[in-house]
Amino acid sequence: MLTMHPTLLIGSAEWQAETLPKELFLGRIAALWRGVDTTTMGAIVYGDARHHAELAYLTHFTPKLEPALALIPRAGAPQLLVGGGVNMLAAARPLTWIADLLPLRQPGKTIAEWVRTSTAGGAGGRPVLIGAPAMPWALHREIADALGADVADATPVLQSLMRRKQPSELAAIRRSCATLDAVMATIGEAQRDGASAASAVLAGELTAIRRGAQDVRSLVSIDGGRTLAPLDGARAQEVTADPLQFYVAVRDGGYWSEGFATLGRPHPAVDKACAALRSVLAQLQPGATGRAIADAIAATIAPYEWHPITAHSFVHAVGLDLAEAPEFAADNDAVLAPGNVYSIGVGLSDGGAQCAIASAMVAVADTGCEILWSACADEGLGEDR
Amino acid sequence: MTLEQRLAAVREGMRARGLDAVIALHDGTHFIETPNPVQMLTGFKSLGAAAVVVTANGEDPILVVTPAWDAERARERCEKTRVVAADDLVEGLVSALAARGRSLGIVGLPATPWALSGRLMEVLPQAASVDDWVYALGAIKTEDEIRDGREATRIAEVTYQHMIDIVRPGISEDELALELKWYSRTLGAEDNFLLLCAGSHNRAVQPSTGRRMQAGDIVLAEITPSCRGQLAQICRTIVLGPASAELKRKYDLVVRAMNEGIRAASPGVPMSAVCRAINAVLEAEGYGEFCYPPHIRRRGHGLGFAAISPGDVSLDNETILAPGMIFMIHPNQYLPETGYLLCGEPVLMTPTGAEPLTRRHAALAEIPL
Repeated sequence: MLTMHPTLLIGSAEWQAETLPKELFLGRIAALWRGVDTTTMGAIVYGDARHHAELAYLTHFTPKLEPALALIPRAGAPQLLVGGGVNMLAAARPLTWIADLLPLRQPGKTIAEWVRTSTAGGAGGRPVLIGAPAMPWALHREIADALGADVADATPVLQSLMRRKQPSELAAIRRSCATLDAVMATIGEAQRDGASAASAVLAGELTAIRRGAQDVRSLVSIDGGRTLAPLDGARAQEVTADPLQFYVAVRDGGYWSEGFATLGRPHPAVDKACAALRSVLAQLQPGATGRAIADAIAATIAPYEWHPITAHSFVHAVGLDLAEAPEFAADNDAVLAPGNVYSIGVGLSDGGAQCAIASAMVAVADTGCEILWSACADEGLGEDR
Repeated sequence: MTLEQRLAAVREGMRARGLDAVIALHDGTHFIETPNPVQMLTGFKSLGAAAVVVTANGEDPILVVTPAWDAERARERCEKTRVVAADDLVEGLVSALAARGRSLGIVGLPATPWALSGRLMEVLPQAASVDDWVYALGAIKTEDEIRDGREATRIAEVTYQHMIDIVRPGISEDELALELKWYSRTLGAEDNFLLLCAGSHNRAVQPSTGRRMQAGDIVLAEITPSCRGQLAQICRTIVLGPASAELKRKYDLVVRAMNEGIRAASPGVPMSAVCRAINAVLEAEGYGEFCYPPHIRRRGHGLGFAAISPGDVSLDNETILAPGMIFMIHPNQYLPETGYLLCGEPVLMTPTGAEPLTRRHAALAEIPL
């Protein structure tokens, strides 16, 4: 789900060697080398404050302020080039297992030199890019110019490795889901106490912060669920909504969870969305395709239409990014892969005042699906939680 | 200055350059150092990638918004703008551009992600980069941007007071930064570029970490709320416990330097003069070597998210100051005796000089323990 991206990432992103040992990252890098051409001499991994899932997967580094590039050779020690100058290195050092941190300056020249020294002695080979799609056009061009040709993009190779979550990753996502649940409970309490839409959601955000979440983002509806919008300081500040429809994303230990929910008085569309979500979750199986899930949703929400917000994003993987590859659509055969975690949203609309979205977080195993969090888990959507 | 007057200036520039249309791009990654030409030309801060088409013939700008479901928010926010809802920016842009001329300028491409820019260049191979002159037209803030800058400043000052109330030894930088950002959101900010760190001798202001604060720490904070997309900033320094006499003297010095910078900021003078005035105070006290890289590269900066013009308060910025500009003046100086000290105010250029937007200017705060 798309949220309003903040200008600076605030919140703990420090590397904890006890829970995520260096060997874990070395294993991921080794798996990357097995997935790319044997002539690949190394990887240039890009990340910025918005798009850094691949960089974090390999280095644990979250670029809070300016972009970063990891230069990871097939043989030898990696380097992390951190934006913002030499004064930013001290704050960056606790965020990664990589020991060699340098300021990100003249990236084209730096990368060309890195390739030259890494291939000295006849080793040969060319690097691959990871995170290239998110790289600013000017930086991409500078790197291509410095290396004399376009560099192959190996982002899909790494993304395929990221799909099977490791135990430490699943543990982080479970913690994130537990915080998401606590946030929802707080919002429910605030809403029952008569708080405005903005105040209720902000109360939920504070719960996430107090529980140690490193990031929390929200969208709220003040028009009965027809649209969602970021809190902009004006629209939602004074409005009390019942039922209150909203979206919250929580990041804990690097990993996201997210949920659409509705709290407050019973509402026919909300009840229908909840029933539909339960039905879809009951049918979920490992290997289910986007097409099959879309068909299941369409069948359960009838006579309502798809809600515009979920029409193009009813299921996506969640992990180090809020929406990880592959992209699911009603007309493709992307599948729920064992080992991965997904957000599944059911949204419906009658084109007017009757609108609702409900969602769940689901871990897919080889033998079935586990619901990690659901907007309709116990009492049911539209009822007090 | 109104948004319509800014658009009129863009159209005038287009006619002078023989352009039929200008396309402005932004991918939705909002960053204090990166201008957002879509917001500059429409007032809209997007969730996702967005583009605006301004034509020379005077028709209303066309704003292409992704994801499509966010278009309604854009319609509410943007008057006299035709909003096109799209789930694919390139497809939406191509349809918006139909029959709107062949001579195109494009702004924002260098910061656009490669996946998007590559597709755009395929469909707009003839578009010429016009970043510089379009961004320069954003240097004079609109009346709405000035109003929002004043409100963001108010939020920054209230947030700073809250910081004084809650900062104590034992709290981590991250915990404090998160709490303050949240607090500023309760006051109406939609974002906050909140650089915050602490230590007994800081080398610079950095993003917060998990370090827990200790008695005697000097806490640095750039509190930078955004109100309806307009940033304002205050730079403040707090000491946990009593400040030494030397720290007080040095802080007074940077405040004096800042005030000289504010005095030097007058319509018609180049931005470099502001930097030079600040440096002169510090150089007179023997800190000349700390007035240049690697210790310092600027004494302030423009405030987006729309245009970040008039740019940095630096010796190489010859932009002529004019009424309606908003920017930061912050000496933010490393001194060998005390470490890095933060001190800065947002100012609005008026016909008579620089008006600080803050009610209370920077002063060293001491937290009794």
